[in-house]
Amino acid sequence: MALLHVKDVSKHYEKGKNVLSDINMEIFEGEFVSIIGPSGAGKSTFLRCINRMINISEGDIHFDGIDVSSLNKKSLRKHRTKIGMIFQHYNLVSRLTVIENVLHGRFGHKSTLQGVLGMFTEDEKMEAFHLLEKLGMSEHAYKRCDQLSGGQKQRVGIARALIQSPKLLLCDEPIASLDPNASKVIMDHLQSISKEMNITCIVNLHQVDVARKYSDRVIGLNSGRVVYDGESKALSSKAIHAIYGSEAGSLIME
Amino acid sequence: MTTIKSNDLTYDFKKKTSAGKIKIKVWGKSQIVMLLTFLSLFILTVYGFWTFDLKGISLIEATNETLYNLKVMFLQPSFSHFTLLDAVGQIGITLGLGFLSTLLGVILSLFLALFAAKNLSTKTVSNAIIVVVTFIRAVPTVLWVLILAIAAGLGSEAVILGMVLHSVAFLVKAFSESFEEVDEGIIEALRASGANWWHIVTHAVIPTTASSLLSWSFLRFETNFTVAVAMGAAAGAGGIGFELLMASGFYFDLREVGFITYFILVIAIGLELFSTQLKKRFLTNASA
Repeated sequence: MALLHVKDVSKHYEKGKNVLSDINMEIFEGEFVSIIGPSGAGKSTFLRCINRMINISEGDIHFDGIDVSSLNKKSLRKHRTKIGMIFQHYNLVSRLTVIENVLHGRFGHKSTLQGVLGMFTEDEKMEAFHLLEKLGMSEHAYKRCDQLSGGQKQRVGIARALIQSPKLLLCDEPIASLDPNASKVIMDHLQSISKEMNITCIVNLHQVDVARKYSDRVIGLNSGRVVYDGESKALSSKAIHAIYGSEAGSLIME
Repeated sequence: MTTIKSNDLTYDFKKKTSAGKIKIKVWGKSQIVMLLTFLSLFILTVYGFWTFDLKGISLIEATNETLYNLKVMFLQPSFSHFTLLDAVGQIGITLGLGFLSTLLGVILSLFLALFAAKNLSTKTVSNAIIVVVTFIRAVPTVLWVLILAIAAGLGSEAVILGMVLHSVAFLVKAFSESFEEVDEGIIEALRASGANWWHIVTHAVIPTTASSLLSWSFLRFETNFTVAVAMGAAAGAGGIGFELLMASGFYFDLREVGFITYFILVIAIGLELFSTQLKKRFLTNASA
């Protein structure tokens, strides 16, 4: 059975102006899926519909056998702990240390009091260090996040998402603010996470070649509609132009 | 410079004066209103001076007297009704009034500001708090003290209550604006991981804004100190302000007034310098 099942999903903020229309897809455990498409196509909105940071207008999303739109406040928190999210601008609390930021990922499993007082178990702290080590960041554990480079911050972001022990990782343009070196490090980490830990990854990307290289499957969005859904190897340049609505030869990658 | 003939213009928008020169200044409605306002203020000022009732006081003599008084006050300061130690003690009381009201104000406004910040609260709650707080801020502290004196009686209790009320009104605005500056992405990231509101507030919002909260609080302490001086006299809260009132209105001791003024000035400058440093370091948007 598919881990994520999206059926006839539409989203509009104003009536008649659909940001997403009739999205259908199934995503399986351990898959590495890239979503590409022009700015404003609804990529970010779609990701946020999965963990219900945004409520959908029509259709249903089933994740791990649960209907996402039916969740109440408490079970929504539980649902979100199963989905890690990483962001273009890392969204770390820059005044706090790396290890503190990583442990923020555990709040979903905590009661209000435990969280407010910052009561983390030794196991959780140990796990945080394991993750940092895996991402090559353990030497920076006690540094404040504003002293890190972009690539390092993104690795902290990944560690924060992984400590949730998620089944799915949503990545909203994880390398859009990074240089090519750091981008490669981050994409390699995401790939190994998906392969070794069997965590499904859905990655929004602007770099078609990166999407093609790293992912098992590419989904193309344009104006809120799925215009391509297939294996990354099968992604032809004709399909790319269909996704971006561009003419042959007009994209920077050619 | 090349000469351009007037018929070179595609569209002719230029205006001319009656003498046939091209106008560069246009008299609009706002300029005329402005001119009339200045003109009437000028006339009122001249009329005011013209109709002064001097009650037979010679202007030169009065100026001399005033200058003499100022000289006694500020060039020969001394104290006669109390010792330096007393003065320090009285300053301590005034600082204490300021400190206590700031402390209580900070604690109360920290919670209220969380609900007044648009990114942490609902629109209704936030607007409701902001309206109430704006009203409280619009009424001066002295008036609040006098209003609260009905219940608490004139004295330090009413003064503290009034100052707390006004501090809360000021700090809720300052704090909530600091909270609103917290990067929306950080809040989103924690919400997406399943963190609840309290987790986000205690581990993301407060740590991010801690230094600006501290600076605002100190800024308010500085204000509260000055207010406490005035309140000591006006509402009988004691402290250096009360001594100042006694020296000036009761003993007519100009030298003591001078001494107390210098004393307050030294403390106020000290606080001011400290808070300016804090502001420079931690507040980028300190306009309030």
